[in-house]
Amino acid sequence: MRKALSALGLIGVAALVLTGCAPAADEPAEEATTSASATAEPVDPVTLTMWSWRTEDVEKYNTIFDVYEAANPGVTVEFEAFLNTEYNQLLATGLEGSDGPDLAMVRAYGGVQALIEAGQLLPIDGLVDTGSVEQSLLAAATGRTDGNLYGVPFATQTLQMFYNKGIFDELGVTEPTTWDEFIALNEAIAAGGYTPMALGAKDSWMLPIFHEIVGAARYGGPEFRDELLAGTSDFTDADYVASIQIVDDMTEYMVDDVIGVAYADSQIQFTAGTAAQFPGGSFELGNFTTQAPDMELGVYLVPTPPNAVSSKPLAAGWADGSFAINTKSENQEAALNLLNWLASEEFGQLFVDEVKQFSAIKGLTYSDPVMKEMNELFASGPTAYINLVDMRYGDPTGSTLIGEGIQSMFLGDMSASGVADKLQEGISTWFTPGA
Amino acid sequence: MSMKMKTGNKPRQHGKMPILIGTAFVIPALALFSVFILYPLTTALSYSFFSWKGTLRGEFIGLENYVTVFTRAPFDEALPNAFSHNLLLFAGAMVFQNSIGLALAVVLHKIGRVKRLFQTMFTLPYLVSPLVVGYLWSLMLSPLFGPVNATLKKIGLGEFALPWLGDPTTAIWAIVFITAWQWIGFPMLLYGAALGGIPEEVTEAAEIDGASGSKRFRLITFPLLLPALGTVSILTFIGAMESFPIPYAVGGSTGAPAGATDVMALLFYRTAFESGDVGSIGTSSALAMLLFLFIFGVAVVLRTSLARAERKLYDE
Amino acid sequence: MRKFSILNAPKHVLLWIYAIVSLSPLVIMVMNSFRTTQQMATDPLGLPESFNLVSYQKAWITASFETYFLNSMFVTITSVFIGTAVSLMAAYVFARSKRRVFAILEGLFLSGLLLPVFLAILPIFYLFDALGLISNLWGLIMVYSALSIPFSSFILAAFFRQLPIDLEEAARIDGAGYFRTFFSILLPLVRPAIATVVVFRFVPIWNDFFYPLMLMRDRSAYTLPVGLTRFFGEYQTDWATLFAGLTITTIPLVILFLVASKQLVSGLTAGMSK
Repeated sequence: MRKALSALGLIGVAALVLTGCAPAADEPAEEATTSASATAEPVDPVTLTMWSWRTEDVEKYNTIFDVYEAANPGVTVEFEAFLNTEYNQLLATGLEGSDGPDLAMVRAYGGVQALIEAGQLLPIDGLVDTGSVEQSLLAAATGRTDGNLYGVPFATQTLQMFYNKGIFDELGVTEPTTWDEFIALNEAIAAGGYTPMALGAKDSWMLPIFHEIVGAARYGGPEFRDELLAGTSDFTDADYVASIQIVDDMTEYMVDDVIGVAYADSQIQFTAGTAAQFPGGSFELGNFTTQAPDMELGVYLVPTPPNAVSSKPLAAGWADGSFAINTKSENQEAALNLLNWLASEEFGQLFVDEVKQFSAIKGLTYSDPVMKEMNELFASGPTAYINLVDMRYGDPTGSTLIGEGIQSMFLGDMSASGVADKLQEGISTWFTPGA
Repeated sequence: MSMKMKTGNKPRQHGKMPILIGTAFVIPALALFSVFILYPLTTALSYSFFSWKGTLRGEFIGLENYVTVFTRAPFDEALPNAFSHNLLLFAGAMVFQNSIGLALAVVLHKIGRVKRLFQTMFTLPYLVSPLVVGYLWSLMLSPLFGPVNATLKKIGLGEFALPWLGDPTTAIWAIVFITAWQWIGFPMLLYGAALGGIPEEVTEAAEIDGASGSKRFRLITFPLLLPALGTVSILTFIGAMESFPIPYAVGGSTGAPAGATDVMALLFYRTAFESGDVGSIGTSSALAMLLFLFIFGVAVVLRTSLARAERKLYDE
Repeated sequence: MRKFSILNAPKHVLLWIYAIVSLSPLVIMVMNSFRTTQQMATDPLGLPESFNLVSYQKAWITASFETYFLNSMFVTITSVFIGTAVSLMAAYVFARSKRRVFAILEGLFLSGLLLPVFLAILPIFYLFDALGLISNLWGLIMVYSALSIPFSSFILAAFFRQLPIDLEEAARIDGAGYFRTFFSILLPLVRPAIATVVVFRFVPIWNDFFYPLMLMRDRSAYTLPVGLTRFFGEYQTDWATLFAGLTITTIPLVILFLVASKQLVSGLTAGMSK
């Protein structure tokens, strides 16, 4: 047992030493920042491995990296994807071991802190030009305790209401612009024999998402967030509670026993055409287009409810992950070159065109009409998905708490204020405002 | 009338096996076990006494992680909640899985040529990968698309078409059912093998003497099945306390809905792998250690009392 | 025998009803392997339109299932063999010796059953990393063999204890040593127990995705379940190929079970007519 402990101790010490050896700001970094993807002289052949959880995007990334490889002869990028649910553990062990990747996709915000604090990721301040990245999203790859930047965010997601244009046309309804129109719309859909909204309430992670879609305007999006983080307000705020109440009210427009419907079921409801609307994230787009290629998709933002704090409809968004470099990588210079390219517009545009998700890079063009519309909607009323962005730095996470709370609310065991209390109590165990 | 079983009277242990021979037989298993189970197990449990930053071990903090696990949210509620569900799973398994398994074994014992067919059909669920058991059963029990509710409605039992996996009261029982569905082959086959070990002459002699079917079962068959029963019970207990793939697949890592299907292994999993807390290796190891100690304690107690019961039975 | 008496009818009806419950998820799995993901998205439980083997092709060829299949065979068969062999030897001692040392050891082995699978992943990972066993199938084999010991030794010891001592004593009088007694006399008698242990170890090892996912980082060392995990996306799952892959993964288990259950029966009848 003692041998085991000392072995562990050695590993711990080794990790600490390595962190100390990581390239600090005093390293000559100029050459890394200037040559992004510009014609580089042929280097010694180098293979960079990158890990990810996006098993569904492997071929697309290979196509994208072909472009980089063509501009950087001698460099090969190997993209490997692993099962999403076990990825965190895979990555943590992989970065610790001797055979880890050079770069990896890492989770955003709270999800990356463990890796940062263990010294497994390379701090990139000054080494990577992040000028083209939407600056507010850099928080997703920033260390909470030391404030250093450790990665380049690669994707953003937005929340909105998807709908089946075919069903809308059939029923003669259009996108609502006021709350009354929104209610009337749902009533009309229900009268027409369709389920107005599809929601997988059994899978609790969908519930905070739904809450943001229908309730963000009610509690006041960005203003509330500022107050929350500063400590002048908290989740028990009356407007926030009211936003949770809206969620409960909306169950009228879902199937009975919505609490038993799984997320996959709710997607089928929409793709099979039994439900007219699907409140969801931009990540659903790929799914819907492959499962129901003949469906014409529309999107809109839910109008502001009565007594809403915000004067306009809001779309919640967040960064969905970042690219980071392994401190143990033996090809740090090549990796930094690649990372610089991943922070460039060229990559951003390729990402949008191939992977069809929103990139964290600014100023890109979206050829897909639905994506274009989602992007415009987001730009018209952006807000952060608070429970993911700010409330995942500890345990229990905000999204878990509110998700479980809303489930209890649907079952009639908890009131909206009870849910807010549960959320506030839970995060108070680790969250200090003004941090 | 007491039946002296041919197999039951003699002592069953040599006691005279030379220690060298015994050691030689045991060494290969011991070597494998020590390197690949004992060492990792003790190392992993030792993690619970330290603080952690991701995979970087911090300082020795003694029992602090254990205190956290009993007092701090979310553990202070989640721990007893999950633990109670494990106990419920055990009770449910004993009542449904094992008794039905025994009944099936008894029924199939004398059923003739279709025995193998049924044994195969009842054991096949065990072969389904845990990756999709959850998906398949979520589909089966879906209030929208599932055949279970659809069938219930068709045969006029519509009021029983509940949202099985969404209602906290039914969800945990759905897990008991799905677990039984997957594992019923196990007690069925073990009891079947044990039943096969009872010589026919004995039961036939009792029949000739006029003993009824149930009396034969109670006085002859059942006592002889006691060792098998003991084995199955202990394994069921351990399985219930460590239940993971099915609750995870059905209720997700948070034990939806609203923690109604949360079990200790799920609590461990999400603390270790999904927590936002950077010190989670320490807290999750503490959880695992507690679970281990509990199972160990109960298993020892079960084992000794079963051994005592067995000895009493055969020493008469 | 009373095989065809009318009293057996309700028994048979109930048995068949439960058989339907037992098999329906499996039937769904196989049916869906002949459909496309789109079809499943519109009608989750519909019947396949045709005998569409596209998904099987995709799984076997594009997704390198052939390699994974061979790896799974190699790892599982070897692990079960080693695990059962060492457990048999240990179980013999546990059943036949009264010494305290071995009783303690038996308890120790049993405690290995209490180990939740993923608890030890970090130490095992570091151990493998140090020994160079990452992405080496033998590493997996060692872990699986070791993990089989608690269950197998427990079951086998219980069965050994059931055997009457007469045969062994007779053999000893005839001059046979412990090894010979073990091999030629006892082993054939515990065949049903061996069959049970083999089935109940083969299946979980064959289906395990966690250890190979964590320890086999090189794709050429993947086993079937890990190959299956590649069809699970973050938000989208390739259901059609997944179900084809699943069916491919399940067929060997069905074959194994059919063969083993035959052994079980013949072993039992042999045991009774000694």
